[in-house]
Amino acid sequence: MLTYTDSASNSDRLGRPLFEARRISKSFPGVIALRGVDLTCRAGSVHALIGGNGAGKSTLVSIITGIAQPDSGELFLDGVRFQPRSPREALKAGVVAVYQELAVLPNLSALDNIALGQEITRRVGWLDRRKERDRIWEALEALGAEELNLDAESEELSVAQLQIVEIARSLVHKARVLVLDEPSAVLAGRELNNLFSVVRALAAQGVAVLYISHRLSDITELCDEITVLRDGRLVSNGPASEYDTNRIIEDMVGHKLSAGAAASEGKIGPIVLEVDKLMLPGTEPTGINLQVHAGEVVGLAGLMGSGRSRILRSIAGLEHPGSGSVKVKGKELRRSSIRSAIRHGVALIPEERKTQGLVLDMSLAHNITLGILRRVARLGILLRPAEKAAVDNGTSRLAIQSPNTRQKVRNLSGGTQQKVVLAKWLATEPAVLLLDEPTRGIDVGTKTELYRIIQALAETGIATVLVSSDLPELLALSNRVLVLSGGRIVAELAGGDASEDSVLEIVVRHEQGAAS
Amino acid sequence: MSTVTPNTAVKLWQDQRVALRWIVRKSLAVWIIVIGIVIWLIVSRSSSFLASSNISDVLSDTVVLGLVGVGETFVILSAGIDLSVGSMATLTCVLSAGLINGHASLVAPVILLMAVGGVVLGIAQGLLVAKAGIQPFIVTLTSYFILAGIAYAYTAIPIGSVPDGLSNAFFASLGPIPWFFLITLAVGVILSGLLSRTRVGRHIYAVGGNSAMARAAGVNVTRVTVLCYMISGVLAALAGCVLAIRSGVGVPNAGSGLELLAITTVVVGGTSLVGGRGRLIGTAGGVLLLALVQNAFLLLNISSYYESVVTGVVIVAAVALFIRHD
Repeated sequence: MLTYTDSASNSDRLGRPLFEARRISKSFPGVIALRGVDLTCRAGSVHALIGGNGAGKSTLVSIITGIAQPDSGELFLDGVRFQPRSPREALKAGVVAVYQELAVLPNLSALDNIALGQEITRRVGWLDRRKERDRIWEALEALGAEELNLDAESEELSVAQLQIVEIARSLVHKARVLVLDEPSAVLAGRELNNLFSVVRALAAQGVAVLYISHRLSDITELCDEITVLRDGRLVSNGPASEYDTNRIIEDMVGHKLSAGAAASEGKIGPIVLEVDKLMLPGTEPTGINLQVHAGEVVGLAGLMGSGRSRILRSIAGLEHPGSGSVKVKGKELRRSSIRSAIRHGVALIPEERKTQGLVLDMSLAHNITLGILRRVARLGILLRPAEKAAVDNGTSRLAIQSPNTRQKVRNLSGGTQQKVVLAKWLATEPAVLLLDEPTRGIDVGTKTELYRIIQALAETGIATVLVSSDLPELLALSNRVLVLSGGRIVAELAGGDASEDSVLEIVVRHEQGAAS
Repeated sequence: MSTVTPNTAVKLWQDQRVALRWIVRKSLAVWIIVIGIVIWLIVSRSSSFLASSNISDVLSDTVVLGLVGVGETFVILSAGIDLSVGSMATLTCVLSAGLINGHASLVAPVILLMAVGGVVLGIAQGLLVAKAGIQPFIVTLTSYFILAGIAYAYTAIPIGSVPDGLSNAFFASLGPIPWFFLITLAVGVILSGLLSRTRVGRHIYAVGGNSAMARAAGVNVTRVTVLCYMISGVLAALAGCVLAIRSGVGVPNAGSGLELLAITTVVVGGTSLVGGRGRLIGTAGGVLLLALVQNAFLLLNISSYYESVVTGVVIVAAVALFIRHD
């Protein structure tokens, strides 16, 4: 039944299995998200669920919490078959999730948010606010979070406080299994320690915590057990004592990122992109200096919120930088002007392709020519042959295999959608290519293809800046890696010198430095 | 000391901002305008405005608008919109007058029947919104046309009659305060309690704030949505009956345009059109505001052609001056 009852002392220390998932499979149109995954969470223990983007963590969580139903496989709660068909059913059974996008209603007070769905009433639904307050107070005491102001409108609370609100809500819901999805992504320092002690307090009360995080330091510090997923498969699981950072990363990425991804060997040309003292509002006023040569790929590493995406957005004119200048081939761009950036050959492949990169209900062809309509038209009238030539050029260059260029982009796979975004921007013949998480949520096959495309583009003399949370990918593709923390560059590593460990070490050191 | 140092000036300014925020949050902004108009009318037209008959008229004018406005508040708080209230009021106006047709014994059962009709309409609209996932605007726009069509098919000319005793009762009052106004006020107070003090009330705010989050927290979103449209449907049906009682006959088009007036009272009352924020006290202020504007035109003897223009200006002023800082 259990995959690792290797020693009696282990299961004693870890407590009895409270929640189990057995051979869970789930596929969505075009993607197999989970293939026969097992998971066992024990009462009183914190279980880390780890995996890269697209590993299947979110799908597993939505199955556990009743948002999605598995194609096959079974869930057990306390040894009894458990089939939640809606979040409400899962909640009733005591399975509660706290998502990264916090589900706190901004229009209700902290108290009302915590009580939501679990209100205490007297007759005819009349609220008993005093009893509610008492019960919530108890929950906050158990969490050691008595300083939370229950009457504050929740839009006035900090992210850390909102998290406490959600965790308190789960306690009031009498959670037995608590899923925390990337709870630490936006926290640091004291708030992070606070979160840890709250999670430990929960576990001490016999709750089984499933903790999802990209931060390896969280996992080694907080978790008792580890399960690693990759591409929808269970890679390994076991007590946290059997893992170190290296093993976790190895299990997450498979082999060291392999064939197909290697920094371009092509010639590095003259400077194309020059960023001088760019300052992001709300960060330290040191400013960012960055020079990218033709044919070079520069990777930006750092945690969420370190300013990676904001730098790209500022260069592309989507965000207003506090100060500083951006030059492309020696010509200065107008600040926060998207048109000026595009005219000078800057192309940004955005993080959220569905909302920022594509018009989902337009066809593949129309999406590709969206940026060059001026060029394929005379006197405002679109010329079919010119448009078709541009589309054909894009599809062949990126090997977009779609039988029909009139197909709606909405119906294409994530990988193909990303290629369409790239094709759209390549049609503008950019000199600078800014890639923000270009392979997020894309299957491994297409990922490798995208790596080759990125290299091939660099070899044609495009200056590329790459942001990716997938560290092995970032290291493999970049000639140079810049490490960011708190909106400034804290280290620069040549492609050869950079290893995952060295980057992670720098990141962790600076995050802690910033926190203390 | 009477001199204002920079520090106290800053503090005063901050205090004012805090006060303003409080007023806006509590949906009381519209009451400032209402009080302003009342003071202005007292100062400029004291005798005619304060006449018992005039006060009685103003308050009578709030009954129909109050009923539909309260119902509309529930729907808008749940992040919906109800465009059917005007047509519904028209339909129940002609139907109730036609069915009662002068028989006093039929009054109670017919009004009950109309209320049941409102419940049915509410359930149908609520389910189409919450279960079928059709946008509220479209669902209620459809009802708007269908109900108006039925009313027109039933009669294109004034129809039926309401017993004289009942019609006169509409103007019966306790001092200057009409009984119908007191009943409407009671309905408002009870429903206000429902919103602020009960589980289902809190769930309405949650659904209006973000229905996906509310669902994830275990709220029965469908039930809450249906309830809101039901309240709106019933109150619209009752408003139609009141229209029949007031005029003594079933008047075609009696409720035409009422849906927009209802939405106006809600918006002017500080309720967010995207849902989740607002209070009935604001809608009450909105209702009173519209009634006062109408009364002011009467008292000042200005052509009522300009009334819509002034109402429009007042709406923009109310919303612009006290816009929510969110």
